[in-house]
Amino acid sequence: MTVYILCFILFLVGLYGLITRRNLIKIVISLCIMEFSIFLMLALIGYIDSGIAPIIRPDTIGQTYVDPLPQAMVLTAIVIGLATTALLLAIAIRLYGKYGTFDIREINNLRG
Amino acid sequence: MQGMSVIVKKVTQLIAGIIFLYGIYIIIHGHLTPGGGFAGGALIAGSFILLILAFGSDILKLKQEETGSSITENIAILMVLLIAVMGLLFGAKVFFINYLPVGTAGKLISAGVIPLYNIFIGIEVAAAILTIFLALVIFKEESTK
Repeated sequence: MTVYILCFILFLVGLYGLITRRNLIKIVISLCIMEFSIFLMLALIGYIDSGIAPIIRPDTIGQTYVDPLPQAMVLTAIVIGLATTALLLAIAIRLYGKYGTFDIREINNLRG
Repeated sequence: MQGMSVIVKKVTQLIAGIIFLYGIYIIIHGHLTPGGGFAGGALIAGSFILLILAFGSDILKLKQEETGSSITENIAILMVLLIAVMGLLFGAKVFFINYLPVGTAGKLISAGVIPLYNIFIGIEVAAAILTIFLALVIFKEESTK
């Protein structure tokens, strides 16, 4: 149970960075930390104590394997996270080209 | 973008080749050990990104590299589709079927077409991550000019 609580604490660290930082790049990093806390939790759900990697070979038949299904799901989620991070960074670079800063308090021309 | 200091350049020269070889190892042992196409492709792309960051490059050359990596990515994903369609022609005529001889489990050359999928997915992921990186660099150079 402790590992899930630690994952939740890591999620809260990312959330704290997301709502308190003013720099766009730091906001993207905070989002990545939140993402990877969720990946860690999903991979830990499939973990079995003293289990080995789920690759069936003649010398490992009969031993305990960890669950491969959450691992496959986490792999898909990592690919999606890569794409969303690239999109966020592209938007941040375009905003930097337009305003000359990463500070979200300065980026306010959409107001009114 | 300009390069970094001479210490960074020297260390990059020493370790970039090792990272590249480790990525190839992860890809070709994808059916025997944890890892596979995606992890190895990310490692190979990392070695290229390290070289570009350390040595720098002008924007025209970066555009040529982006065209090349984009074409490589498209060809690799087309090869994956081609191998999958070949299953419709041989044996049980099922899409994505394993039509090559399987061999003994645990050997390097075994498991039929799965190592081929791993190799082409590795090339595809490496070229795709490199394309994303180069697109972001070109985007930044153009928007801050």
